[in-house]
Amino acid sequence: MLARTAEYLFWSGRYLERAESTARQLDVTYHRLLEVTPAEEADAWSDVLVAVGLEDDYVATGYPRSAAPVSEFLVMGPANRGSIVASVAQARDNARGVREHLAMELWEALNTLHLNLGARDLSYDLAMQPFELYGFVRSGIQGVIGCATETWSREDAWRFFMLGLLLERAEMSVRTLRVRHPRHQPDAVHEWSATLRSASALQAYRRQYRGYRPAAMVELLLLSPTLPRSVLFSLRFAEEILGSLSDRPTGSRSVALRLLGRVRAELEFADAAELVAGDLDEVLTVVESQIRDVASAVAAECFSYRVELDLHSLALLPGEPLIPGAVATGQVATT
Amino acid sequence: MGDWFDEYATDGFHDEVVAADGEVRPHYRRMVDALGALSPEDLARAERRRTAAFRTQGITFTVYGDDEDDPGAGIERTFPMDLVPRVIPSDEWAHLERGLVQRVTALNRFLDDLYVGGMQIVNDGVVPRWLVLSSDGFTPEAFGVPVPMGARCLVAGIDVIRDDRGEYRVLEDNLRSPSGVSYVIENRAALTRVLPQLFAGERVRRVDGYGRKLLDALRRASPPSGGESPTVVVLTPGIYNSAYFEHVFLATQMGIELVEGRDLVVDDHVVYMRTTAGLKRVDVIYRRIDDRFLDPVVFRADSTLGVPGLMSAARAGNVTIANAVGNGVADDKAVYAYVPEMIRYYLGEEPILPNVPTYLLWDEEQRAEVLARLPELVVKPVAEAGGYGLMIGPQATEAEIEAARRGIEADPRNYIAQEVVQLSRHPALVGDHFEGRHVDLRPFVLSGEKVEVLPGGLTRVAMRKGSLIVNSSQGGGSKDTWVLAPEPSSPAGADESPDAEADERDGADADDELLDIEPATGTVDVTVVGSAAAGSSGRGGGS
Repeated sequence: MLARTAEYLFWSGRYLERAESTARQLDVTYHRLLEVTPAEEADAWSDVLVAVGLEDDYVATGYPRSAAPVSEFLVMGPANRGSIVASVAQARDNARGVREHLAMELWEALNTLHLNLGARDLSYDLAMQPFELYGFVRSGIQGVIGCATETWSREDAWRFFMLGLLLERAEMSVRTLRVRHPRHQPDAVHEWSATLRSASALQAYRRQYRGYRPAAMVELLLLSPTLPRSVLFSLRFAEEILGSLSDRPTGSRSVALRLLGRVRAELEFADAAELVAGDLDEVLTVVESQIRDVASAVAAECFSYRVELDLHSLALLPGEPLIPGAVATGQVATT
Repeated sequence: MGDWFDEYATDGFHDEVVAADGEVRPHYRRMVDALGALSPEDLARAERRRTAAFRTQGITFTVYGDDEDDPGAGIERTFPMDLVPRVIPSDEWAHLERGLVQRVTALNRFLDDLYVGGMQIVNDGVVPRWLVLSSDGFTPEAFGVPVPMGARCLVAGIDVIRDDRGEYRVLEDNLRSPSGVSYVIENRAALTRVLPQLFAGERVRRVDGYGRKLLDALRRASPPSGGESPTVVVLTPGIYNSAYFEHVFLATQMGIELVEGRDLVVDDHVVYMRTTAGLKRVDVIYRRIDDRFLDPVVFRADSTLGVPGLMSAARAGNVTIANAVGNGVADDKAVYAYVPEMIRYYLGEEPILPNVPTYLLWDEEQRAEVLARLPELVVKPVAEAGGYGLMIGPQATEAEIEAARRGIEADPRNYIAQEVVQLSRHPALVGDHFEGRHVDLRPFVLSGEKVEVLPGGLTRVAMRKGSLIVNSSQGGGSKDTWVLAPEPSSPAGADESPDAEADERDGADADDELLDIEPATGTVDVTVVGSAAAGSSGRGGGS
């Protein structure tokens, strides 16, 4: 598969997941804040901005942290390249650039979502029916991903699309847990349930645990092997996909696979109670940067293929990174 | 039949459906009967379903504004389609097919002669040397670059019209990157879904084998280094090109990679594509990028669409570029006037399809006559495609006529003049009734070991009343185009498809098997399989 095609598919998956997560966060936050104090409100919108990774961008606009400006910024803000509208448009444009590799039904679902979103009066929706708008975005994206699951042959095209989606999801879930963990105080039941709802995990939590315990939250959202939006679940799936790419180095010879295996294994064998007793914030910060490093390594290995390596068989010195700097610093564009 | 044609006026034009005496032509009778069972609202609804389906599927072409700096400013539009199909009976098609094969054969010979054959036709004084050398499309960089089997026009789109006596004539040859074939296939797919009842009892030849035939032709054009299964790619200028959808469509139909210039790299005169598993050698490139953007080393240095070193790889015989570089010289509109002579020169045959009467303006006598008759004639710049720069005398303002006059006087080589041909008309749905609209036909011709024609082609419709301009970039629409198979009782012969033989040989199911559609019951939703833009506006691709 063309390196560019793989990159487009990877980012298409990422953008879609970003739009869906943003809609979830907005939905949960907006509706629970109808019953709280202004101070709590500002904190809650800060949490949303951190969770979606756009806090700095928002601060730069100078707007207050309240429902209307934050919602507008995240749904359609022209200054925000990571808004829901921009993310769906970019997912669609990326897909259009490689549509010969897409399952036909997936392309149609994505194109329809983009056209229908563009046809809505978003200002009206935000003012009058945000619940309807967020539901529309969520179900639209779930329709697209459903098409991918049901109609897309399990080839490298599907793998790169899912890889982007899963890495974005894992990163978003880690950030959400990190910013929300301090809010999970024993008497703040609505905070707990908001976090769980934003990960579609409230019912699973209720079935599995009694009462609210921080360790249980971490066990479910970070370490659950069964909850689709848990970090471990996403990383396991991503590892399986990365390992099955055709014509790729396997095992420790792939930097991306090695990094992914390492962070997955750390979570695999972690103990929730220990994490909560220690410095959870620090652990989650490290995990987040490890996930970013995986994405950088995928980009270095699969997308920005260095022609000279192949043409002139440049011998790497032992220990020299494949792409200098990329792995070590974990710098990768997130928008 | 219903009352669709009770008030239909042919206005003295050759009409494809209704003869001068007001009778429906025999090959349209069955379809006209089928239309009689439909109301205007049925047709309008079918058209809405078709447009909505094309929009959902992204079957669009891009129209550009004036903002050259922002390619993203293009607007995606669906290509309008009129739902009443054009029907070509088998005997007419046989005539057209023979004429097209003859013409494209001669054009391939001409181009091979110019670039690798020592210019015999010029040395023999049949085509003037200065005319060839002064053509914008003449490309010295292509000298000595071999093309397997001389198939320089691997895909040709020949624009054919019918004059007021119903005679088919060639209006233009498109030998660079003719677009529109995706619409031929998509229009058919759409029509079988929104109006299946029209097909009942008809013997319509299929069009959907094009992808396989194109891939076969491209594979056969591979240099020997490609071996048994050469790697073929489609090279596109990218997502902002007006015909991008067609590029996707063709790559999908053929199951091959759609690449951009940046995906390719040339090392030591060999072309590779960058894949997730390293570099992979490329043997044949079906390019939809204009010559001048193809290789910044040889052509425009500022082009970012092309591949540095590509021409050197082609010259070394390590890759085949299709269509060949330098074809523009043969679809120069002044060189066009010499195509009948080429046919006589190379093939020793009389042309089967005549040209439109054309005046060459460097000739003083012809120029004087043309300047005196400008308001009656059509004036075209020789190197433009897509209907740009056209002056149609009878419909032009005084200022436009004066502008053409000044243009001709300043640079007579840059224009030709032609008699206004009254293009034939075909009924099109306008509101709740039919009106005649002018149409042309662009059949697609593939070259290789033999030259063959896709049954039918793209029928373009000038949707504005009275307009003669059918180009999609100028507001034209399209129609599904049916070529009818001969009646089974008629003796096998002249118009037996040449494809039938090939299909038997390949052991594949015949592309020309008849479309056998059950009469429809109820509504049918449209689900078409991908397609692209016809028309010709630029951005480095299309002709």
